[in-house]
Amino acid sequence: MGWRRLNHLLHRDIGYLCIGLTIIYAVSGLVVNHTSHGFNPSYTIEKTIAEVTPPEKGSQPDVAYVARVLSELGETAPLKNAAMLAPGVLRIFVEGNTLDVTLNTGQVSLEKVKRRPFLYEMNLLHLNKAKGLWTWLADIYAVALFLLALTGMLMIRGKSKWRGVILTGIGIVGPILYLML
Amino acid sequence: MMLLLLPLIAIAQELKLGEPLTLSEATKVSEINNHPENYFGKRVMIEGLVINVCAARGCWMDIASDVPFEKIQVKVVDGEIVFPLEAKGKTARVEGIAEKMQLSKEQAVEMAKHQAMEAGGTFDPATVTGPVTFLRLRGLGAVIQ
Repeated sequence: MGWRRLNHLLHRDIGYLCIGLTIIYAVSGLVVNHTSHGFNPSYTIEKTIAEVTPPEKGSQPDVAYVARVLSELGETAPLKNAAMLAPGVLRIFVEGNTLDVTLNTGQVSLEKVKRRPFLYEMNLLHLNKAKGLWTWLADIYAVALFLLALTGMLMIRGKSKWRGVILTGIGIVGPILYLML
Repeated sequence: MMLLLLPLIAIAQELKLGEPLTLSEATKVSEINNHPENYFGKRVMIEGLVINVCAARGCWMDIASDVPFEKIQVKVVDGEIVFPLEAKGKTARVEGIAEKMQLSKEQAVEMAKHQAMEAGGTFDPATVTGPVTFLRLRGLGAVIQ
């Protein structure tokens, strides 16, 4: 088998192997690029305001009051914890929801957090939040992409040689030009 | 691979992030807040309730002190450790280096603006009247339960 044939086979098979992760990294890359204070790529964050009965004057909020707040709001998710955040502000943590109760008015600020289906997992992999074994797999993928580029360059020949040279050149010069501007 | 990973995430009871914890004894947050000069540049381990997490990048979290209404912020290098939003309301043990942050008025305005945007609120620059000094922990590793 000649080296060109071997190069072609390598390019094809590495390409097949990379399809899945390339889709994951591409989709995640798009959403992560647009991370901002108003957009979390892995979670939806919904903020609302509600009202509950404030505790009786002079009384301190206790477990029963926390239960009453959750009941009045119809919040059924498991309770994680509760703490006085500041004098007069009770923070209640339930699964997927954080509630800040202003004790003298009964006003409640709710922050519901939910994982974005698929995007959460894609970002977890793309941003290597898992670390450990995934670091190795991601490194292998990076090397595979490098080999894909290298074998791709070696395929530039024949009738479409100049097209290959020009398009490859654009791909290389683009980021360099951006950095120089 | 993705489907394989999902059950692993679901069954994880204790989330370990960053470097493994090396200290066995926790220092009280109130002790660090009251005597910061004793801790600057030193590696400490704290333990407490996670009361807030950076909503944009998971790059910081606030740990409640053992003294009511006090807290300490743990800041990590973006991407090195990402605190999940689900950490809120859970107990965390965090190890890191205590840092003294000295901000000029302009830097303090920028930071307050940044925090207000993260909280989804409005920001009035007049609330920052001068330079700000505060203490925080540069997080190296954490275990969230």
